[in-house]
Amino acid sequence: MAAEYPGSVRAARRGDLQQLVDLRMRFLGETAHEEPRLRLLPDARQRTEQALPVWMGQDDRVLLVAETPAEGDEEHGELVGYAMGFLNVWPPVFQSQHVGEIAECYIAESSRGKGLGGALVKLLTEVLLGRGATVLRAAVPVTNPGARAQLDAAGYAPLQFVMERRLNAL
Amino acid sequence: MEGVPIRNARRGDIPSLLLLWQAMMKELSDMDARFAPHPRAREHMANELAKWLQDPNRHVVVAEEGGRLLIGFASAVKSPGNGWQIPSQVARITDCYVIGPRRRNGVGRRLAGRLLDVLYEDGIDTVRLSVAAKDPGAHAFWSSMGWDNLEEILEKDVEPS
Repeated sequence: MAAEYPGSVRAARRGDLQQLVDLRMRFLGETAHEEPRLRLLPDARQRTEQALPVWMGQDDRVLLVAETPAEGDEEHGELVGYAMGFLNVWPPVFQSQHVGEIAECYIAESSRGKGLGGALVKLLTEVLLGRGATVLRAAVPVTNPGARAQLDAAGYAPLQFVMERRLNAL
Repeated sequence: MEGVPIRNARRGDIPSLLLLWQAMMKELSDMDARFAPHPRAREHMANELAKWLQDPNRHVVVAEEGGRLLIGFASAVKSPGNGWQIPSQVARITDCYVIGPRRRNGVGRRLAGRLLDVLYEDGIDTVRLSVAAKDPGAHAFWSSMGWDNLEEILEKDVEPS
C-alpha cells in the first residue's frame, strides 16, 4: 500500500491508541457540527478511550489507520486518519446475513484530497470480504453529502433511510 | 375504522402476528429484492415473537377488528444509545404494518401513536426507525407524522455472481 499512496494505510496497533482517540474525537466532533442530532455526550472522550483498546482485541472488528511519514523519522509516522468496520452476522431474517459494515472513516482536513480515505476504504473492504462479507453497508448522516457522493462513486446504492422523531413535542 | 381497537399483543396473538409479519416481509421483498427473507425466517421469527412478548424493553401493539381479527401490528424496542452521541437511550420502531385492504383509515397512525405514547411514558425522548429507500409510500407516511431523515444506509453487493 505504501507505494501506491502518498501515505500508507495499515492495521492499527496498540501504540496508535492516543492518536486514534484524538482522530475519533475530531471525527465525532465534525459529525456533531454538521448534524446536531448526533452531538456528543459529555463523557464521549472517556468512553472512546475505554472502547478503542477493547475494539482492537475483537476478531470481528477491523481498525485501520492512515499514516504520513514524520519529518526526519522514517519509522514513526503521524496518523492522519482511520477507518473502522466489522463483520455483522445477522440472524436468519433476510438472505444477506454476513454484512460488512463500514462504521467510520475519517481523514484529517489537512490530509484530504490525497487518496488516503479511498485507500482506507479499499483495504477495509478487502479485509471484510476476506472475513466472509457478502454485502457491504455504510450509514451516512443526511447532512454529509460529500461522504454520500464518495459511496455513490464506489458503487453503493441506497438501501434505507433512518428517520427520527423527538417525543418532547407530543 | 376509527373504532378498531388498539391493544397490547398477547401470547395467543403469535400465530396471527407471524402471518402479518410474513405479509409485511413479502411486500418489502417484492419492492426490493435485497430484503428477500431467509429460508428459515418464518421459524426464526416465530421464536422471536414469543421472546418479544416477554421482553420488558419491547412493546408490541395490535389492531383488532371485530374482536377477533388482527389487521395490523407495530413494535418498538428500547436500548441504550451508542455511548458517545445523544441520545443516551433510544427506542426503535422495528415494525409497523396494516393489511392492504384496511389501509388509509388511520390504523397505522393509531398503532404508531400508541407506541409513541407508551415510549414517552417510559421516559424515551428519541425514537428512530428505518424505511426502505424503495418505499416512498412508507417514507411519506412517517414524514407526515413529523419524522425526519437522520441517516441514509447504502449497500454494495459483493457476492460473486
